[in-house]
Amino acid sequence: MTDSGHTRSWLGVTALVVLAVVGAAVMPSLTSARPANEVPVGDVGAGATDPTAEAWTTVPSVEMALSSAPSGLPRASNVSVEHARVRAATNDSHVFVRVSWADATADRNTSAPRAFADAVAVQLPENETARPPIAMGGTGNRVNVWYWTGDGRTEELLAGGAGTTTDFAETSVSTDAVHENGEWHVTFTREAAAQGNRTDLAGEQDIDVSLAVWNGSYNERAGRKAVSEWHYLAMGPGPQGPPYETILWTVAGLAILFATVVTIEGVRRTRGEAA
Amino acid sequence: MSTDDAQEDTHIDIADGVDHQVAMVMDLNKCIGCQTCTVACKTLWTEGGGREHMYWNNVETKPGKGYPKNWEESGGGWKSGEHSERQPGEIPSEEDYGGDWEFNHEEIMYDGSDEPLRPQADPEWGPNWDEDEGAGEYPNSYYFYLPRICNHCTHPSCVEACPRKALYKREEDGIVLVDQERCRGYRYCVEGCPYKKVYYNAVSKKSEKCIFCFPRLEGEGPDDTVHATACAEECPPQLRLVGYLDDEDGPIYKLVEEYEVALPLHPEFETVPNVYYIPPYAPPQHSEDGETVQGVDRIPNDYLEELFGDRVNDALDTIEKHRDRVRRGGESELMEMLQDKNPAQQYRLEVFDDD
Repeated sequence: MTDSGHTRSWLGVTALVVLAVVGAAVMPSLTSARPANEVPVGDVGAGATDPTAEAWTTVPSVEMALSSAPSGLPRASNVSVEHARVRAATNDSHVFVRVSWADATADRNTSAPRAFADAVAVQLPENETARPPIAMGGTGNRVNVWYWTGDGRTEELLAGGAGTTTDFAETSVSTDAVHENGEWHVTFTREAAAQGNRTDLAGEQDIDVSLAVWNGSYNERAGRKAVSEWHYLAMGPGPQGPPYETILWTVAGLAILFATVVTIEGVRRTRGEAA
Repeated sequence: MSTDDAQEDTHIDIADGVDHQVAMVMDLNKCIGCQTCTVACKTLWTEGGGREHMYWNNVETKPGKGYPKNWEESGGGWKSGEHSERQPGEIPSEEDYGGDWEFNHEEIMYDGSDEPLRPQADPEWGPNWDEDEGAGEYPNSYYFYLPRICNHCTHPSCVEACPRKALYKREEDGIVLVDQERCRGYRYCVEGCPYKKVYYNAVSKKSEKCIFCFPRLEGEGPDDTVHATACAEECPPQLRLVGYLDDEDGPIYKLVEEYEVALPLHPEFETVPNVYYIPPYAPPQHSEDGETVQGVDRIPNDYLEELFGDRVNDALDTIEKHRDRVRRGGESELMEMLQDKNPAQQYRLEVFDDD
């Protein structure tokens, strides 16, 4: 074995180490390894209360599939909205959720016997650590519901099962909505920290979230609605968090590198002995 | 006598969990279509605040499309007497109720206008729109008036339709009410009631209905004394009896359960109403020259069956029999009850006060 041979092989090893570290940084974004039900939570400024704010373009969206909710109501299985896109974000003090869905008509009117307004609701568990039954929670496991209707009302509700929705005396949720190009975009804003019967969104943990959408001109109201499965707002440090991911990829890269170097060295020694 | 004893003693089908059941009998042979009941109710309960289109009490001409327009074809109620499956229904349109029209009172009364008094719009339907039109050909055209309130049914499909249980039957007297705190304006009750007697208030965003004047029944009415419903007390011909179906000494029980001459409207809706009607008894048909045509009913029998079911035939036969008896100088408790003008009998509202 010559000195120049040694130098060459260490150059090669160094190059591989650099490749592994760069790879660890780049690979995750290439594979986009996000769990199916995760709603990533971006970081935005105060302007995110406006559904048309520029800040929202930097936040990745998640498409949620919607289907009719089981209920005994007439024509309950006949609902019209099939998908909604959700974006979530925080800043230092507030949490923002923006829901977008296609609806050709903006139904804002409830002033006639047959007039129903479009609506959207965001459902969160009252107790952040326990996932409630999807249909409005259960008696021992209630949900918070943020409810916006096209006639300009915002309600914050507490529910423990279908038919039990109760208004909070004062709502702590504000909304803003815009209908453009056949689509509704509605933002919900609430202070992250909360107590009592309200979901605390200031802790470092994932929070379950689901959606319901009503098309007013389709006579959708109450339990006749299009709903999603449970998803979660990725607010915790979980395994998908960037620092953890980088370490994993680096360890994996170094392990591959080590195995490669050992193999090469083994082959070289075998050859050297033979020569 | 305890409530349980009372229910054991009688075969009356009142709703589970209800102590007594308020009831009303209206004698259609006395109604002159003056709408005093309608106005009494409206001024008391539905003058404004999103209630303009509501007539908890209305009087419509039959045959006719009624109020709201074509309510009899709007669905609702139950598919059968088992009360397990509801019949789908529709919410009437704003036009079916008739809008709240503005009139040119100001111009005529104060500005000296010569214009005729008329709505300042071009309405095409409203309550009582087809008044006195009826059906049939001269000289045998016919019509009668049908006053309608909520039937405070024994099996109310409006109660069953509400996903929030905002509607309920009061335990003490079976009055059907909408809990305004629970109601969220979904209007399943509006479409679920086959009589279309639950109304949506677009201002409060909640549904409302006839409350059988319960504050008056509870002594919260004029002079702090017990009163019958305003529609009944204000009626010029006093065609209504108000009381409890399970008051076996009262005329309502006797007319409904014993003589079976007071019948629910559209029994096929299967909600088992607690408002009952003495069916209209029309004169026979006339020939062109004014002679009586014996044996041919002026109001076609099948039309009355359509409204009151098959039992209308027996009811009319019974009334006819008792009329004959009195005409021949005999006595009839039934005829006496139908002609009684004694308020103590007509409005028996305190019979269960000691329960």
